[in-house]
Amino acid sequence: MSASASPDVDARMRAYVYDATLRRGTPPSVAELGGASGLPAEEVRASLARLVAGRVLVLQRESGEILMANPFSAVPTPFVVETPAHTAFGNCIWDALGIPAMLGQPGRIRTACGCCGEAMACEVTGGRVGRSAGVVHFAIPARRWWDDIVFT
Amino acid sequence: MLLFRSEEHVERWGRQWGLPRGVVLTPEQAWQLAEAWYGPDRRAPEWRRRTLEETEALFADLGLTGLFWNLRPSPSAA
Repeated sequence: MSASASPDVDARMRAYVYDATLRRGTPPSVAELGGASGLPAEEVRASLARLVAGRVLVLQRESGEILMANPFSAVPTPFVVETPAHTAFGNCIWDALGIPAMLGQPGRIRTACGCCGEAMACEVTGGRVGRSAGVVHFAIPARRWWDDIVFT
Repeated sequence: MLLFRSEEHVERWGRQWGLPRGVVLTPEQAWQLAEAWYGPDRRAPEWRRRTLEETEALFADLGLTGLFWNLRPSPSAA
């Protein structure tokens, strides 16, 4: 283990990740994290790997860039979240609701019915979700969410 | 986790994909779960993932109980 492979390094890396993500709505790249932390890419990647092992982040398999800094997605999804701060993508409807929750801001979620594709929306204002038609379906039992977090 | 127009659409989607029905929450329940889950500031040095017991307590506080929300391995569980 290198001297930098410590909980402090990972806590700082997590803070860099979420600071950038909350500010602009999309997770930072490995290169950006290197710039923010002053660490070489190799150490940034090692820290990200530890955060993945701790189920804090999910990485893209090929590139090793961040895929999910929950509730935010680094790639476009069917869960568009518009807030006063930015427009972001949630990983699922729960995460989409989690973005205004994490920001402490109102938000509008634009998505579609998982079955028929009809456009749907949810409004979050004043710390409450507006009365809206529809139901949220959790397909995978809670203890299996991390078996394949991309498919939950 | 997906949003559906109704429980009927959940059932139809499950039949299309050969998936069993999971659990259906109202948008309000899902919001309460999102607020509880994502409320703590992940930028804070002291932030850490919840323990299993803390997660169970969070679910229970929101009325999310039963086998679906059980986090402990069970040989009889689906």
